[in-house]
Amino acid sequence: MDELEFRRTLYADPHCKDERVLAAIADDPKKQTFYKELKQLDKRMHQASEVIVPDDLAHKLIFRQTMQSHRASKVRNRIQLAMAASVAFVVGVSFTIWQQTHLLNLSKQAIAHVHYEGSYALDAQENVSLQQVNEKLAKFGGEFSEDIGRVYYANFCDFENVRSLHMVVAGENGKVSVFIVPHDDAYLAEGSTHDPRYNSQAVDLKRASIIVVGEEGVNINKMREQLKRKIQFSA
Amino acid sequence: MFSRKQTSQTSVSDGMANKQKRYEVLVLALHRDIFRYACWLVKDKAVAEDIVQETFLRAWKSLDSLKDERAAKSWLITILRRENARRFERKRFDLVDIDDVSVIDEQLSNEVEIEHRELRVIMASLSEEYREPLMLQIVFGYSGDEIAQQLNLNKNTVMTRLFRARNQVKEELDKANNNKVHING
Repeated sequence: MDELEFRRTLYADPHCKDERVLAAIADDPKKQTFYKELKQLDKRMHQASEVIVPDDLAHKLIFRQTMQSHRASKVRNRIQLAMAASVAFVVGVSFTIWQQTHLLNLSKQAIAHVHYEGSYALDAQENVSLQQVNEKLAKFGGEFSEDIGRVYYANFCDFENVRSLHMVVAGENGKVSVFIVPHDDAYLAEGSTHDPRYNSQAVDLKRASIIVVGEEGVNINKMREQLKRKIQFSA
Repeated sequence: MFSRKQTSQTSVSDGMANKQKRYEVLVLALHRDIFRYACWLVKDKAVAEDIVQETFLRAWKSLDSLKDERAAKSWLITILRRENARRFERKRFDLVDIDDVSVIDEQLSNEVEIEHRELRVIMASLSEEYREPLMLQIVFGYSGDEIAQQLNLNKNTVMTRLFRARNQVKEELDKANNNKVHING
């Protein structure tokens, strides 16, 4: 190992453990002095490099991190809250939409009711007076101002859990079933339906809906218009 | 369902507590050396403190990526150097010379203190490419291989720079001593 390489190696790393360097030092007192000087210098440089570290630095570092993760968890909570809110919102909106699409279609329901009751009401041969009809109708705050023709049957019935008036009235070309159903949010009160046997029409009035159901060929239109004209509701 | 949720939450907070503990150990073990190195890197104590804070904050955020605790030192140095580089992207500061930073060793005699101050000025005056490997060697006791890895340099380059750095320090010291002799004479 020549002089230059020796110096270069030691300058690069005074604590070099290279055998050739150590051998060179052992052989040559001058090199030994040089080595000692260099190590001395390194020691001084090390001491000089020791900048005083602020006492509270470690605390600051830990404190700032704690603050940071606290903030992060607050942000996380906010995100969770926002997600919960949007889920609630979507549930609310879809429930409303679901409810609307599942509104009870009164005209359809009326036909089902007639089918279900069968001949019980339709075959009734009573002759209910207008006064009796109006007494019943008074429950819903309504009355017929004029005679509505022959009434074969008039009684309260359960119309999808709503107490309603079920009548069977003589119409043009046959009997017409009439339902008077107080208002309810769950109803789709307007519209018409027909199935192979019956036609039905619903009309929404001030405090109740009237649904007329008749077999094919029975003029339910006329009946609907007549009832609509004759029924009156107290304010 | 509820009990399952609870256990997962407990394990999450356990994980947090573990992470917190790891972080604190890291801070206590390494903040001094990292701060000293930062001082030598930026030559300003206040800026160094800022950078060290940023460094540890970043370390906290990506602590999960540190798989081996033995690599922590070099990992932190890498973050620190990146933070330092980012600082230059943002703005160039006018730096105070390290000599202006009060670094007082009360135990040392006045003469030694003066000598240290002299050395500090010389070390601080080295260009960054020499200063950085030198301070890695002196502050962290890094070997040539470790410095090469840390700075992403070839080992020969590192050894050359270390040689030149020390050579320059020695020359400056000799020059200063000669001046003193001259003045005294």
